Amino acid sequence: MEGFIIALFVCLVLALISKYLSIPAIPFYIIAGVVLGKAGLGIVHSDEVSRFFSDMGLIFLLFFMGLELKLERIIANPSKVLTGGLIGLTVDMGIGFTAAYLLGFTLMESFIVGAAFYITSTAIIITSLIENRKLMMKEAETIIWVTVFEDIVLIIILAVLSASDQNLFLFFVKIALALGIIYALSLYGKEFLVSILERDDEIPILFTFAAVLTTASFALFLGIPETLMVIALGAAFATTDPDAFEQHARPFRDVFLVMFFVFFGVSIDFASGVNWSVVVIICILAILSKLISGMLIGLAIHGSALSGLEIWANMISRGEFSIALAVLYGSPVIATTIAAMVIVTSIIGSFTAKYSTWLRKGIVSRSRKKALLYHPHSGK
Amino acid sequence: MSAMALRSLNLPGVGTKYEIETDKGDTIAIFFTKTGTIQMYTLQKGCQTPSAAVMTPIEARRLGNILTGAIIEADQESVEIAFSALADLRITIHTFFVPKSITGKTIEDLQIRAKTGATIIAVCRHDKNIINPPPTFSFEAGDAALVIGESDQIKKFEREIMVE
Repeated sequence: MEGFIIALFVCLVLALISKYLSIPAIPFYIIAGVVLGKAGLGIVHSDEVSRFFSDMGLIFLLFFMGLELKLERIIANPSKVLTGGLIGLTVDMGIGFTAAYLLGFTLMESFIVGAAFYITSTAIIITSLIENRKLMMKEAETIIWVTVFEDIVLIIILAVLSASDQNLFLFFVKIALALGIIYALSLYGKEFLVSILERDDEIPILFTFAAVLTTASFALFLGIPETLMVIALGAAFATTDPDAFEQHARPFRDVFLVMFFVFFGVSIDFASGVNWSVVVIICILAILSKLISGMLIGLAIHGSALSGLEIWANMISRGEFSIALAVLYGSPVIATTIAAMVIVTSIIGSFTAKYSTWLRKGIVSRSRKKALLYHPHSGK
Repeated sequence: MSAMALRSLNLPGVGTKYEIETDKGDTIAIFFTKTGTIQMYTLQKGCQTPSAAVMTPIEARRLGNILTGAIIEADQESVEIAFSALADLRITIHTFFVPKSITGKTIEDLQIRAKTGATIIAVCRHDKNIINPPPTFSFEAGDAALVIGESDQIKKFEREIMVE
C-alpha cells in the first residue's frame, strides 16, 4: 500500500511538471512506473488494490471512448472518415504487422504489435491540437476524423481478439443479448436517466460509477469481454446526455487512468528477454510509418504534401489505446516493446506537433523565394 | 445584404466549431472546446496561417458585447434585447458608475422610477452584487448600478440621475 501512495504522489508531481512544460503526461507516468517497479528500484509492486485501480482506469477510458462515439455523425460523413481512416489502417497496420512478423514475433503477437503500432493516442492528439491552437487548420478536421475511424477499428480488434478462443455462435448471441439490454434500457429509460443526471446531489456520480461497474461485471458473468460492453454502454448513454455523463465520469477516469499507466510501467520487466534492437527498429518505424500514411492522407484529401507533413507531425503519438492492447493481450516482451514505442512516439510527437508550423514555414518560404525569382512582380 | 456563410460543426472530442466567411473573403472561426475555453481564429484572405486567441467564457461574452455594438465605454456596458414575439419590445440593460452627486441618497430620495421610468435591478458594491435593492437602499461611492428600461428611459436616467 505504501508503494501505491508513493506512485500516486510521484504522478501528481509529474502531472504538474508536464502541464508546466505543456507536454503529454502519459510517457512520464509509464517511465515513473518503470523506475519504481520491477525493472527499476522495485519499490512499488502490483497488488490487489493496484490491479483494481488499473482495471477501473481501462474500463473508464473505454466508457469515455464510447461516449464520444457518435455513430450517426460517422454515417453522416462517411467519405471524410473513410478515406483518411482506410489509408491509415492499411499503411500503419500493414507496416507494423509486417515489421513485427519479420522481427520474429508470432502471427498473433504481430497482430497485437501491429494494432498498437497503428492506433494513435486520441487524448494526446486532441489536447495538442487545442493547446497548439491548430483547430482552424484544414488538416485538423481530417486528423480528428482519422482518430474517430481508429476508435472503430479498435472496437473491431477487441472483438476479434476476444472472440478467438470461444464458440463463435454462442459468443455473438451473448454479445447481441447484452447490447440489446443496454440499448433497450437507455432507449426506454431515457427520461429516467435524464432526470437522474439533472439532480445536483451525489446521485448522478454514484449512478454513473455503478452503471459502468455493473455493466463490466455483468459482461464477466456472461463470459463476454467487459471492454466491449463498457464501450457499448458509453455509446448507448451518449444518446441521452453525453455531456452530463462525461462530467460525472471524468474524475474516475482521470484518477484511475493515471494508476493504469503507472502500474503498466511497474509491470514492465526487462528480464523478460526483450531484444532492444527490435524495440529501436519498431520505434523508428512507428514514426516513419506515420510519415508515409500522413503524406498519403494529405495528398488524397487536401492534394498537398505540406498538409501530409502537418498530419504526420500531429499524429505520431501512440498512447492509451496501444497500452490497453498491451495490458489486455500482450506478453511481457510485447508490453516492453509497446511501452518503449509509446514513450518515444509521444515525446517526439509532442515536439513535432508544437513546431510543425516552423517546419511548414521553412518549406513555404523557401518555395516562395523560388517563386519570386520566376515572377518578380507577384510578391507583396 | 448578402447572406454570410456560417457553418457550425460538432467535432468529436473537441467541441463545437463555428465558421464565418466575411464579404471581403476573410475567415473567422470560433471553437467552444471541451476544456471550457473558447478559441477564436482569424484568417486574412490570401494568408496561410491564422492567428488565434484563447478566451475564458467571460472574456468571450465581453467580446460578443463589443461586436454587437452595445458597449458605450470600456467599463460601462449596455445590452439591448429585442423580444420579437412581444410587439418588438426592446429592453436595454445598462451599467452606470454612481457619481459623487448621489452618494448617500436612497433610490426613494432620487425618485428614479417616477422621474425616468427606469428601474435599478442590481448594484455591485465591493465585488458583491445586491440584487433588486429596496427603495431605502442608499448609494455609496464606487457603486456600479445595473439599470433596466427602454432606451429612452435609460437616456433619461443618464441625463437626470447620473449628473456629476
